Amino acid sequence: MATRKVRYKKLNPKTVLPIFREDQIDPSEYESLTNEAQIATGVEQAEENEYHLQAVLKSAGVAADQEIPVPPPQESTLNYDEFYSQKVSKTATYIRFSQTVEECIGCMYDMTEEDVVFLQSYNQKQAAQAQLSEDDFEKIMEVYEETAYIKTPFASIDQTVAGYDEMFQGLQELEKAKALMPHAKEIYEYWKSRRQALGNTPLHPTLKFETHAESDDMDPYVCFRRREVRQTRKTRARDVQSADKLKRLRKELEEGRQLVQAAHSRELLKAEMLKTDRAIFELRAQLKEQKIRLNIKADDEDLINQKKRKAAEAPTVQRPAPPAQLRMPGRPDVRPAETDLSLLADRLAEKENELRLDIEKKVQNHKDWNRNYLDLTRGPLSPVHGPRLDPNFRPAKTQYLMTPPASASSVSLDEPVPMDLDKPENLEPVVKFRGVAQDEASRANPPSYRRRIGRLNRLWIDRRGLPASPPREIDDEWTGRLLQDRWKYDQSSDDEDDMPTYEVDPFDTRALKFRSSIPPPPWLLHRGIPNPRALPPNQQQLHQQHPIPPHQLPPHTQAQLPVAKSPVKPTTGTGALA
Amino acid sequence: MSPTGEAAVGSDGPRLIGKATVETLTIGCIAQVIKDGEARRAEILSIKETKSGRQYYCNFDNFNKRLDEWVPVSRIDFDKPVEWPNPDKDKQKDDKKGKKTTAAVSKKQPSKKNSRRVSKREQSIASEDQTHPWSEFVENQQKNKKDAREKANASLEIGATAGIGPDEMEIDEDETPASAAKKESLTPFSREQEIEKLRTSGSMTQNPAEISRIRNISKVEFGRYVLFPWYFSPYPEVYGQEDSIYICEFCLSYFNDIKSFARHRHKCTLHHPPGNEIYRDDFVSFFEIDGRRQRTWCRNLCLLSKMFLDHKTLYYDVDPFLFYVMTTRDEKGCHLIGYFSKEKESTDGYNVACILTLPQYQRKGYGRLLIQFSYELSKIEGKLGSPEKPLSDLGLLSYRQYWSENIIDLLLKFGERDEPCTIEGIASHLAMTTQDVEHTLQALKMQVYHKGEHKIVIPEKLVAQREKSRAKQKRLIDPDRIQWKPPVFTASSRTWAW
Repeated sequence: MATRKVRYKKLNPKTVLPIFREDQIDPSEYESLTNEAQIATGVEQAEENEYHLQAVLKSAGVAADQEIPVPPPQESTLNYDEFYSQKVSKTATYIRFSQTVEECIGCMYDMTEEDVVFLQSYNQKQAAQAQLSEDDFEKIMEVYEETAYIKTPFASIDQTVAGYDEMFQGLQELEKAKALMPHAKEIYEYWKSRRQALGNTPLHPTLKFETHAESDDMDPYVCFRRREVRQTRKTRARDVQSADKLKRLRKELEEGRQLVQAAHSRELLKAEMLKTDRAIFELRAQLKEQKIRLNIKADDEDLINQKKRKAAEAPTVQRPAPPAQLRMPGRPDVRPAETDLSLLADRLAEKENELRLDIEKKVQNHKDWNRNYLDLTRGPLSPVHGPRLDPNFRPAKTQYLMTPPASASSVSLDEPVPMDLDKPENLEPVVKFRGVAQDEASRANPPSYRRRIGRLNRLWIDRRGLPASPPREIDDEWTGRLLQDRWKYDQSSDDEDDMPTYEVDPFDTRALKFRSSIPPPPWLLHRGIPNPRALPPNQQQLHQQHPIPPHQLPPHTQAQLPVAKSPVKPTTGTGALA
Repeated sequence: MSPTGEAAVGSDGPRLIGKATVETLTIGCIAQVIKDGEARRAEILSIKETKSGRQYYCNFDNFNKRLDEWVPVSRIDFDKPVEWPNPDKDKQKDDKKGKKTTAAVSKKQPSKKNSRRVSKREQSIASEDQTHPWSEFVENQQKNKKDAREKANASLEIGATAGIGPDEMEIDEDETPASAAKKESLTPFSREQEIEKLRTSGSMTQNPAEISRIRNISKVEFGRYVLFPWYFSPYPEVYGQEDSIYICEFCLSYFNDIKSFARHRHKCTLHHPPGNEIYRDDFVSFFEIDGRRQRTWCRNLCLLSKMFLDHKTLYYDVDPFLFYVMTTRDEKGCHLIGYFSKEKESTDGYNVACILTLPQYQRKGYGRLLIQFSYELSKIEGKLGSPEKPLSDLGLLSYRQYWSENIIDLLLKFGERDEPCTIEGIASHLAMTTQDVEHTLQALKMQVYHKGEHKIVIPEKLVAQREKSRAKQKRLIDPDRIQWKPPVFTASSRTWAW
């Protein structure tokens, strides 16, 4: 097949092509552009060059009269109406039809001219009433052909002939078996002779279907072969699946069957009941008549329909709960409606109860489950408890002399408990001196210090674990304001439960000494120091606790003390440097 | 090109040439035979004795097979030399004849083996050991064949698994779709390929190998008409001996006996194709028929249409096809005009497998309606369709006409509206494949390559011609009247039904 020469770039079907009329383009140019090579026609290669086809293709667009000659059909000489006598009327709607040819033909055997000759001679021998019609003849022949096809499928090869006795059953099934039976035997002989004459093949020539793959393959007469069936892959899983499906189907069908059966017996019972009712009615009627006849006037109770009794009985009948998967919604229910209604209300209440119980139970469960657990996730930054602190920090341990701080104890009652905001019930009178590592919290988290060398060889002391107690009551207005101001940012929100506390023994000599070595901050010098003695004792103590103005401390757990370049060696806790 | 073109008959290189007589002229000879008053080369395919004398079945050089005919001695020019068949070809023939006699059927039937060898006309005479003078393809193929044969011999000698012939393996290799598609159009089919393709693709057309070269039925009584078949059709073998066969116009049953036919007509109640009507206008109706449900009717239809379609094969059954049958209505019923068959599921995207207008309705515009209907169905399906190849000569012309008319209409419309035009746009508009669009444009010389750009030119001639044909054309399919949903076939019906 000739393909065009690829001289120019390939045409993408998506590219937009400009359209021109022929007059919009230079004719000479157009001519030169269009004498391209042959185009694929899709015709069998061997036939592409056929004379007539080429002639027409050549003339395409020139003359439309060119035609490929074909053997012309003719009008038939047969009388069309004789063969096609039935008339049909046009249907109003589109035809829908699914019958097969076989269903439309009727008797499959069609008499041949030979059969006509036979039948005529046969009928001559018969009495006038016993003439065999063509239709009946065909029916008998059809039975023979069909039986032979079924009983002796290889008749043409093994030359077996189906016997007359084998035909018998088929003949019996014919519509007019009785009338036709007398003819059957003789026609059988005729049929047999015809079969023999044709090499024991069917009397009607048939198409050649495949018989033997090898020899059939090249036989042009063999047609309509079966296609090889595509096998579906068989797996055990699929087997099981389909088995299950079948089982389920069977079960459902069985249920359906039982349903129908039950309905059937119910209807029978109903019929029975109606019959009985009728009998009762008739008996009553008789009774009434008798009564009238005999003039009995008392006791008409029997004549009244006792439907009520039945109704009274009904509620006592215990109906089994309907099966869950019943599909029929409209099932007959004899139970009175009221019982259902009251039950519904009860059930609703019950359900609600159940729900409540369930919820309570769940709450209880949740509590149990949470017992002995502390929810640490509430405070997002809870400090780690335990001895393992930052390695560089050493705990500062202090020991106390037994001197009772009498003066402090009296006021310490008023002193706010710094960080126990979350546990107000723990408010017990504190007799201990605040700021010492005596209480549990401070023991668990003793104050510690760290010395480190910063940039420019500066020495830093880091502290941690010192208690910070915010002031609650301020007496002096000015100091109050000042302190408030100072503490403003040193305090996180109220609900923070683990405010670090820096606990320092204010009377420790070393601490005192250290503090004295710290030069006062310039702002203090400038403003003049408020007299510490003027402060109430608690404030004073507080102040001592924080010798460095708190606003200079970072508001977090770690405070940094810049120490001047002077090699002051601050000593913190007693064993801190060990 | 000269109208005769290159000789297609007896073209396998030099042959012995010499004078022949009535007695010596044998099958396979190429003689000069008078056709329409003109002497033409013709191959003798068969010889028969009739009461009026000996007759020769002639296939004329470069004429379609439908013009093959039986000619009396008087039409053969014995003054001109005759080309004798090649000797080894003869031998084969003799072999076949030997086999043939055992078959003991009418002598004019082609032998079974023969039909294989004559798959292509050129090849039919080409001896296998000679290289083909023209085509590399043929040469390659013959080489392949030879190789295959050698391989087969080898494997037989070794006693290897005889089950897998080398031929089969070759087919598997060829089966990569892209190359296969290409090859299909280029190479002649090998028999095995052909059958494999038929089996896998469900195609019904194109089995050149099977085509019997001599028509067997000479005359058909069909409804109001007498038809003269063009090609072989596998009706029962004995029908070949009949002067005329009878086919019921409605159920398409065939009879060789006029009494049987009359009896059948007496009983047959069918008066339209046995399926659902899916289209009706004042003029024609379309019926959809499932090959599986209406096996007998569809087989009958195929047998009938095979008489007029060369490249149709009835090798496999009709189950995987749907048949869309066009009828015309009168008070007797719905008379078959033509039909097209369509694969229920085409892997190659074909929307038509076979298409035929019966000869008595040809050249009346019915073919165009059939083609249009096939594309209307494709439009409903939302697919692009193309007829299965190869096309017959008449099929090509019909399709070309339909395509060109529609494309020109569309282009004119595009031109008026100044819409952009792409090959794809045309294709989706007309439910045609882009290849068909391109081929049509090229065939009509409308697609030009000019200044580095592809352009479409509408020649005035074609516009004028289209105007003319539109004036003549009265009937079209009205898509609104189609009552059709694309039928859906379940996986199981596809798996088990064919």
